[in-house]
Amino acid sequence: MSMRGPKSGRGTSLAVRKAKSAQARPISKQAEELIDLAVDAARSRHLPDFLKRFSERAAALAEADWGAVVVFEESGPKLYCAKELEIVRNAPKREWLVNKAQEISRDAQVCILPQEKSSTGVFVPILSSANERLGAVCLLRPPRALHAHERRLLEALASHAALALENFRRFSQLERSKRNWVEDIDAITDYIVVHDRRWRILRTNRSLATHLGVPPVALVGEAVGTLRQLAETPGSLPCPFCVDTDQSREEHVISSRDRVFLVSTSRTLGMPDDEARTIHVLKDITDRREAERRYRELFDSIQEGLFFATPDGRFLDVNDAMVRMLGYESRDELLRNDVGSYLYPAPEAREHIMHELNAKGVLRNYEETLRRKDGTLLYTLQNITGVRDASGRIAQMRGLMLDVTEQKMFQAQLQRERDFNQKILNTTQSMILVLDTAGLISYANRRCYEAGYREEEMIGRHLVDLVDSAQRKEFEAALETTAHGQQVENLEARAKRGDGSLGYFSISLSPMRDEQDAVNSVVVVMTDITDAALLQAKLAHAERMATIGRLVSGVAHEVNNPLAAILGFTDLLIENPEIPASAHESLEIILQETQRTKNIVQDLLSFARQRPVQKEAVRLGAILRQTIKLRSYDFTSHGVEVKEDFDENLPATIGDSQQLQQVFLNIVNNAYDAIQEAGRRGMITLRTKRTGDSVEVAITDNGTGISDTARIFDPFFTTKPTGKGTGLGLSICYGIVRAHGGEIQCWNNDSGEGSTFLVKLPIATEGATAAMEAAG
Amino acid sequence: MNSHALHQTLPILLIEDEPSVTAFLRAALERKGYSVVQANSGADGLHQLKERTFGGVISDIRMPGAVNGAEIHAWIQSNRPALRSRIILISGDTANSETQALLANSGTPCIEKPFRMQQLISMVEKIFGKP
Repeated sequence: MSMRGPKSGRGTSLAVRKAKSAQARPISKQAEELIDLAVDAARSRHLPDFLKRFSERAAALAEADWGAVVVFEESGPKLYCAKELEIVRNAPKREWLVNKAQEISRDAQVCILPQEKSSTGVFVPILSSANERLGAVCLLRPPRALHAHERRLLEALASHAALALENFRRFSQLERSKRNWVEDIDAITDYIVVHDRRWRILRTNRSLATHLGVPPVALVGEAVGTLRQLAETPGSLPCPFCVDTDQSREEHVISSRDRVFLVSTSRTLGMPDDEARTIHVLKDITDRREAERRYRELFDSIQEGLFFATPDGRFLDVNDAMVRMLGYESRDELLRNDVGSYLYPAPEAREHIMHELNAKGVLRNYEETLRRKDGTLLYTLQNITGVRDASGRIAQMRGLMLDVTEQKMFQAQLQRERDFNQKILNTTQSMILVLDTAGLISYANRRCYEAGYREEEMIGRHLVDLVDSAQRKEFEAALETTAHGQQVENLEARAKRGDGSLGYFSISLSPMRDEQDAVNSVVVVMTDITDAALLQAKLAHAERMATIGRLVSGVAHEVNNPLAAILGFTDLLIENPEIPASAHESLEIILQETQRTKNIVQDLLSFARQRPVQKEAVRLGAILRQTIKLRSYDFTSHGVEVKEDFDENLPATIGDSQQLQQVFLNIVNNAYDAIQEAGRRGMITLRTKRTGDSVEVAITDNGTGISDTARIFDPFFTTKPTGKGTGLGLSICYGIVRAHGGEIQCWNNDSGEGSTFLVKLPIATEGATAAMEAAG
Repeated sequence: MNSHALHQTLPILLIEDEPSVTAFLRAALERKGYSVVQANSGADGLHQLKERTFGGVISDIRMPGAVNGAEIHAWIQSNRPALRSRIILISGDTANSETQALLANSGTPCIEKPFRMQQLISMVEKIFGKP
């Protein structure tokens, strides 16, 4: 009883009652004590003390020698008793008691002690209101049966114990919960302060006290105004965090010099003054604010458009760049208007976006055309991220948008120019090549291949290899000039054509420069002017011949008058009987030389004159055979072989067989002379064939060749010794062939020996041929 | 007197601008007994033709001045029917296409310069007859 302490009044009365009950225990007394026990159970705050008292009083009530309570605690069964078990006579082991207490069922039970038959143990289960076994009351006493009233008494005792145990259990739970709550509040890093209506601090959490450097209890009772050092709301209230005390909830941001707080306030309104409380929770949002500010600054200052949008394309937020890009006045204007339908000229593209976002979550470098406020089109490049909701659907799109309109326009223009250039390159009649500075072909346009060159003989090859060897140095010099940055225009060179033959080309070389202005390639434009060059040469020749013809004609006419007089008077003198015979010889010489002069003039005239040819169908083969026959003696006696290669089906031509024979004879005579001069075994080949509307006669020899093929047909151009020829033979041939509407050409053979003359004459019409056939 | 005889007594008009050729022709014709009237240009020849009567005309084709041999020939064809087939033309340049056309179309006899005296005399005797 000493544990109770002298102050407890109730303890004193209990001690008195206990003293009385030791003498006699009538039923009414027992009931009284039971009520006392119940009161004690309800009031006790310390479970072990209570259980000791309880066990002692229970033993007294049940007239037992010893009492205890076994409680089934979480850590295992525990025995509480006022008197140590060991001092009881014949006491059983503690383990036995505990085991028995656990074994008993729902009813009180009397057991014989294992060592001492003269004593019994009585076990009464303690059951909770939910019929859960909380423990057992154990009593040791002399062996006798339990009377009914004793059983009821014991059950009443057990139920009091149950009540007390349950209460203690709940109480300790509450205590723990309260302790946890305070710990939880203290664990919150946000500052929490509670004050009453008189602006006194009722409580702060540990974070706030720690921040101020004091224990939490130190602030209790202080004026809430002392917390101004944290931060302050502008206003006249004594609390630095209150704004409107009529509101049950408030939220606002306050800041000090270096900190920003979000203040969330709750008030218990409508309570009596001393009950009313105001709770402020101060959340330090300085870092968040800073992060937000930086984010916003970045968001607004970035030159790319940024947007947050709903899946259907409505903007939730955009930055200034985006507003500018789309041509709106302000962010609000763009966000306010439901611009979706206007903004997307191709709404079907949105489906594609959603499809992609659903599948991949992101869309990289997506090109979309949007419509600006003023109606013009904006070409954009976007990177979009889809934000999914809990169900996995795209709930929001976040994106970055680049204005690529200029690039797009530039690209389109570039494309147009490229197409244009490509068309030019592909359709031009000139060959266009690109060479690197080493002169290797890196590109050749389509025309090159159309002209018959093969890719493998162009790409990667030296262009100079195509140029005639005689002009390679000149071409390489031009290439060198171009490589030094200067353009070379209209270089005329002979080069290999697509079909392998040599042709004339007009070549222009232009340097191409890299970014550093250094020449890195050369563009070569080659135009095949072979036909033009030949035509020009022919025209020039024809013109020269015509001029010579007019000159010769004029000279011949002028010479004919004096010749006529000389010849005439000489005749007169010869017939004159007064002239002595001695003078006759001189006169004959004059006559002879005049005759010779006359012949020269006549030859000149026959070159120049456009005498109409005898219009008859002629067979060139027959004429050629007759011509050869005229010289066959000389040929065989001088070892000159004549080879005939005639097309027996050669069509007839219209002409004068006499004149044509003169032409062929002249050519054959020249061939013979050239062979004689060369001093080798001679060979003259005569070949006829048809080409288009013409027939060709080619006469090839293996003589000395021609020193100047360009001037060979000019009058008085001769390679023969003076007196051997007049230099008019081929001029006359030229005149005759031209009068036949044909052409005569000559060249030195590729073999290096001799030359070839080609006479080309038009084919006779069918009518003329038929007439000739009829004539036989 | 028949026309042939009449013509044979009439002089021959010789139209030639080249004095040396004229001199030779005159000498050759007169040596053979023909009488010759000479004109030094086409215009002069035309004038003479209008003034008097000739037994024949020998004319150069190409002459400087307003009137050439072809025009003399044409005038005679139109105005002196008796002389139509009594013309001999002389040409120094038969390569000329106009000359060729004239000769081919009219069939007028022509001697080409330079010619031998014998060629001339036989042509004159054939066309005009002997004097």
